[in-house]
Amino acid sequence: MRKIEPRVSRRSFTVGALLAAGTAGLPIMVKAQEGKTVALLFDSLVSPFWVSGIEIMRAEAAERGWETLEAISDFDDNRQFEQVRAMIEREVDGILIIQTDANAVIPAIRAANEAGIPMVHFNRPPAESDAYSVAIQADNRKIMQDTVQFLVDEAKAMGGTYKACILIGDLGDVNAIQRRDGFFDIVDQHPDLIEVVARVSTEWNADKAFAGLTNALQANPDINFLVTSSDFLHPQIEQALKIAGKWHPRGEEGHVLFGGFDGDEGAYQRLIDGYLDACGVQNLFLEVDMAFGAFEDLWAGKQVDKLLLDPGFVITAANLEEVRDQMWGYIVWQQQQ
Amino acid sequence: MLRTAGASGNAATRTAGGVRTRGWLERLILSEYLVFYLTTAYFLAVWPIVPEIATASSLSNMLTDMLPLLVVAIGQTFVLIVAGIDLSVTSIIAFASVVGASVMTADGGYLGGSPLAVPAGILTFLLIGGLIGWFNGFCCTRLGMPPIIVTLTGLMFLSGTAIWYTTGHSETSSIAGLPKAFVLIGQGSAYGVPNALWVALAVGISAHLLLGHTVFGRWLYAIGINRKAAEISGVPVGTAILWTFVISGVCAAIASILFTGRLETGTPVLGQRILLDIIAAVVIGGTSLAGGKGKIVWTVGGVLFLVVIDTSLKLLGMSLFVVFAVKGGVILFAAIIDAMRQRIIMRG
Repeated sequence: MRKIEPRVSRRSFTVGALLAAGTAGLPIMVKAQEGKTVALLFDSLVSPFWVSGIEIMRAEAAERGWETLEAISDFDDNRQFEQVRAMIEREVDGILIIQTDANAVIPAIRAANEAGIPMVHFNRPPAESDAYSVAIQADNRKIMQDTVQFLVDEAKAMGGTYKACILIGDLGDVNAIQRRDGFFDIVDQHPDLIEVVARVSTEWNADKAFAGLTNALQANPDINFLVTSSDFLHPQIEQALKIAGKWHPRGEEGHVLFGGFDGDEGAYQRLIDGYLDACGVQNLFLEVDMAFGAFEDLWAGKQVDKLLLDPGFVITAANLEEVRDQMWGYIVWQQQQ
Repeated sequence: MLRTAGASGNAATRTAGGVRTRGWLERLILSEYLVFYLTTAYFLAVWPIVPEIATASSLSNMLTDMLPLLVVAIGQTFVLIVAGIDLSVTSIIAFASVVGASVMTADGGYLGGSPLAVPAGILTFLLIGGLIGWFNGFCCTRLGMPPIIVTLTGLMFLSGTAIWYTTGHSETSSIAGLPKAFVLIGQGSAYGVPNALWVALAVGISAHLLLGHTVFGRWLYAIGINRKAAEISGVPVGTAILWTFVISGVCAAIASILFTGRLETGTPVLGQRILLDIIAAVVIGGTSLAGGKGKIVWTVGGVLFLVVIDTSLKLLGMSLFVVFAVKGGVILFAAIIDAMRQRIIMRG
């Protein structure tokens, strides 16, 4: 039997030396960046809104000469906390975070505060606490109020009475709550015109939305006024309305007054096809600009309010060409074309 | 004989013809501490790329990051040694988190503001872990159900129940307002050592002694190697297996305490994404999925290896998809090493 000598041969020494030299050279390739470095910490990239969001952020950061480091927590609050600590170790200049849970993010804010690194929450504010951070958020309630008001005006103009259904998001998400409240702020003012017959809890889950809306349409076949708290549910809504024989464009008999929220590329397509009547748009470009502007202000030592609101806007067939350049979904739609 | 089952790696250095000296690669692969060597090699390899990984604060972060995962992986080690598996641990973490938090929270908790809140809350965590573990063990041993079915359905049931429970106890998707004394378990330190480390040390040392220095531990190895033979030898197989699930459940509950304290929040999705990490850490350490082989110190090595990889990828700002791909590759690599090890042992 051959005996293998446990010694370092010339060949293994050469291979080892080459590997060591290669490894030592790597830091030169990733050498310290010029300018600022900002961490972009997302909890997921499950909807076009977030995918577009991170793309806009990358482009905006590059334009400002900033480096970005990215991480996705996959809805894991503990992982996101660890990611924040890792970014603190990397001595980034700012942390932009989209947290899953408003309460569980508080220790991460405290850690960033202790390290003196500004933290900006994008689209979702944290829960109230003694920790300091800045949140950029769409004025969900106002945008939804304006969207529903447009639908109500349309309903009044067409005459008749309406049976309404709302698709509500995850009630743990303050955005979902504000959008729901914006809907009822307006609908409750018109009890003679609109009766809300279905509240579908989607928990931001497309399957649940489809099942819930299908059930609602079976229980209330006369639903003719529909609002969704997010545009990412449009495919499920379209399918459910088609099954119920209610998918008709504006002007056709049986058209369901339909309002959306977010402003994605599907919403734009349905607006031009005539199936969607109005859409409350979060101005993603403005929100990114506000977030990065907040970093600059904080770096400059300025005091920034804890909550900065994006006023958003409502897009309809009437103002489509006028405002669509501010609609992020239109940009995505253009790229797809 | 049963004791050597835990360290079977160096068993076959003799052949019929006399002593054979193994090559360094064979000795490395057969080493009980291979995972520690791999961790060291990986750490040294990434150090020049991410120098921040070797700072005192980064090392401290790594240590605290690994503790909850280590505690739950220690529980899983017991179940794997008897050739079982407990997939419900992450849902125990989540369910215990929200129920325990609902007892303690100052925002309308059952004992919110009471001096009994923290002890009662901790007891709730442990009771939930123990009871669910007992139920899993009961179904597997008394009803003869396969562990994978019992614990997988348990995972689904408890995950859903945790969300349902939270909606009944909070306006938001989580339960905050936990007492400072409880939060300190996950965040504070005593004598310069993180409290979570004290907890993990207590769990780890107890588990090590239980496995390596008691009759109960020997029973577990015997069951894992050959259940029938253990039964014939008078080992109370059913009872012993049932207790492994109880230990696993209690360890998951302790991990839940550490996670919940760390995040200051009881959340129904806590730990939902770490099931693969838990099982991978135990297996990478060297514990066999087929049972009969495993040590707590190996699990420590497996957890450490995963955490070092995870931390380096975080520091590099790698996307989650890269993290998944690398972790998957590492687990596959560990499986290949394990297969090579078995072949070398068989060859003698």
